[in-house]
Amino acid sequence: MSTTKRRRAFLAAAATAAAAALVLTGCAGASSSADPTDVDPDGEIVPREISWLLSRPADGGVITAMEQIAEEYAEEHSGFSLNLITTPDRPSYIQKYETLAAANKLPELFDTDATPFAQKLAGQNRMVDVEVLLDDLGLADEYREAALNYQRFDDGSLYMVPFEFQLEFFWYNTALFADAGVEVPATLDDFPAMCEALRAKGVTPIALDGQDQWPLERYMAYYPFRMAGPEYVQDLKNGDAAFADPAGKAAAEWLYDLGQAGCFQEGFSSTGYADAQALFTSGNAAVYNIGTWELANLATETLDPGVRDSVDYFTLPTIDGAVTEDNEFVTPSGIGMAVNARTYDPLVRDFLAFALERYPEVYAATGALSPTTNVETTIPDNATELYSRAVEQANEVGAKIAMPWDTQLDPATNTRLQQELTLLVQGDITPDEFIETMDAALAENSHG
Amino acid sequence: MAESVPLGVGAAKPRPLRRPRPMSTSMLPRRSRLSVAVFLLPPLLLYGVAVLLPIVQSLFLSLFRWDGITDMAFVGIDNYVKMLTRDDVFWTAFGNALGYLAICLVLQLGGALVVASLLTALPRARELVKTIYLLPAVISTVAIAILFQRIYSLEPVGLLNQVLAWVGLEGLQNAWLSDVQTVLAAVSIPEGWRFTGLYMLIIYAALIAVPRELEEAARLDGASWWQVFWRIRFPYIRPVWITTTIMATTFALRGFDIPYLLTNGGPGQASELLTTYMYKTAFVHTDYGYASAISVFIVVECLVAVGLIFLLLRRRDDS
Repeated sequence: MSTTKRRRAFLAAAATAAAAALVLTGCAGASSSADPTDVDPDGEIVPREISWLLSRPADGGVITAMEQIAEEYAEEHSGFSLNLITTPDRPSYIQKYETLAAANKLPELFDTDATPFAQKLAGQNRMVDVEVLLDDLGLADEYREAALNYQRFDDGSLYMVPFEFQLEFFWYNTALFADAGVEVPATLDDFPAMCEALRAKGVTPIALDGQDQWPLERYMAYYPFRMAGPEYVQDLKNGDAAFADPAGKAAAEWLYDLGQAGCFQEGFSSTGYADAQALFTSGNAAVYNIGTWELANLATETLDPGVRDSVDYFTLPTIDGAVTEDNEFVTPSGIGMAVNARTYDPLVRDFLAFALERYPEVYAATGALSPTTNVETTIPDNATELYSRAVEQANEVGAKIAMPWDTQLDPATNTRLQQELTLLVQGDITPDEFIETMDAALAENSHG
Repeated sequence: MAESVPLGVGAAKPRPLRRPRPMSTSMLPRRSRLSVAVFLLPPLLLYGVAVLLPIVQSLFLSLFRWDGITDMAFVGIDNYVKMLTRDDVFWTAFGNALGYLAICLVLQLGGALVVASLLTALPRARELVKTIYLLPAVISTVAIAILFQRIYSLEPVGLLNQVLAWVGLEGLQNAWLSDVQTVLAAVSIPEGWRFTGLYMLIIYAALIAVPRELEEAARLDGASWWQVFWRIRFPYIRPVWITTTIMATTFALRGFDIPYLLTNGGPGQASELLTTYMYKTAFVHTDYGYASAISVFIVVECLVAVGLIFLLLRRRDDS
């Protein structure tokens, strides 16, 4: 956490400086000559250093795998190197990347979600069409459909390459559940009662990282996903739906009820990622909602022996009259990698051809889920039984994805939503006030 | 952008502490005026480029809607209309900024005056006490933010809540950074606390310059402690007091780092300041035009504040 903070503070300064420079030089974006579908440009491969601006853990599987692959490529192509510039803290990363985009200084490769901002970049022909690229490289069929779909814009176009595949579960402590006499909730509406029973036993029902805000925003997405499907949030951002619609209303009321039932730890809004996870792994909280990127911490022997045998997981519960299947939940393929169309040349293409071909094998060997279907994940030696169960589950997920809302809404509405959600769950505002504020924010910010 | 703007305001203002004496200009030999100009010009130019130019640029940018990547669209004064009439977050942030200012001023100036006064009465170990009080001012902001996050924490129990439990006030335990009623004070206190020592040092230096004989004469005439302070000491340190007030005010009005690091303006907008809101608008919402409008407001706000301080404190000085 401390490094995140420091980085954030540093970035704040850097971004401010960059913006000042921007203003001073009067530099504006736009204007382009690159063709995003020209994925096989003519010319000689001249090895040089290429950079990838990314937002992934510094010692994580993706970076480790890509470093290895870059070294292998450099053996054949002397003079080549891959410069990985990572900013794992997502809000800081987004600020960095958007400021660089405004300054026209994006490197060859950069990470982005399928956000409205990224769609603008694609609209300006600043990103290579990945659909065409993967076809041309003969890799399109290797990818999991869900992994590619997660990266697509609303119009179905694809401009980012997935490097991961994750499933988000509700991890829970069976011992604490048994002690409180509660079952795994069958529907989302069972959550408040589950929380009250756990609270009565003096247990924090759900550990929540409120500081980073996206974890609470996931909860906002659940009810509408079950009730109205993945289209609801798309309609919302396009102005075709409102928070006052039944799905939005139900979500607001559900979250308010969770807050009233004391589901989250007190003071959750200032609890960080590591602290929230520690609440669960120390046996103080009964439920923890997180993705398979934490398998190494939750499903191996690194887990505290005190809770190791009582950890299990369940997937997103359904509701009565759900329009999405039980096997459809939050299954992201992580932040995607975009290819800068302006710096795209034979070298970038050649490296991507080599790297994307080689990547699944190297990555799956680290125990992670590959976004492709052509490899098997290596289960680590110290894994618990949960590990392989989670990995197998990846092959059984449905086609529809509960998209994280923070990648969907425009940033101003998203900020407001995150702020109001905290107030809603803390009981500082009512569901009706929440809906009114959010619909007003949506109207104000949706002018494009 | 506007980050550097109020700094200029703060740096530019504390010029002459006392009213210039008519002697001062004639004390320089005529020919050295040129050399004075030679030495003054470069910093003035630097100031113009680093401070005035960005303000003008912000003013210009505030008339546009611009996300950084698509073409700028001229919207006239719509950003200002939005700011003043349609945006409730802006007014919340403005109110919070004033609350933050009030708490910081009480802690920094009030606290500094009390500590400095006590220090003058201290027979020995003054240097040690001064150093200890100054220490927070040299610790990095990030370290202070993390420190206070731990102090305020409820789960796991932090220092503040632990102390409350020890003295039998468990009922007052609170998640100080998550409660919308307490969060503004909770983010203001670290900022106030860390610079108390700095202002204490300045005021202390002014206090020890007060002639001893005057105080002693007053005491012999039967003046109370309060009369000595109010009639002799305070008038003597008034010029320094004006400067420190301006410094503390402009610093507090552009306070950013501790609220940003501790709560990022939350929960809700309960600790959102104009500066954090401006920053978010620019770098999270990529709405550079609207952020410029807010930063122009911050500049105006700082100028108005400095003007008010001069008006209030100067007038009393004249009387």
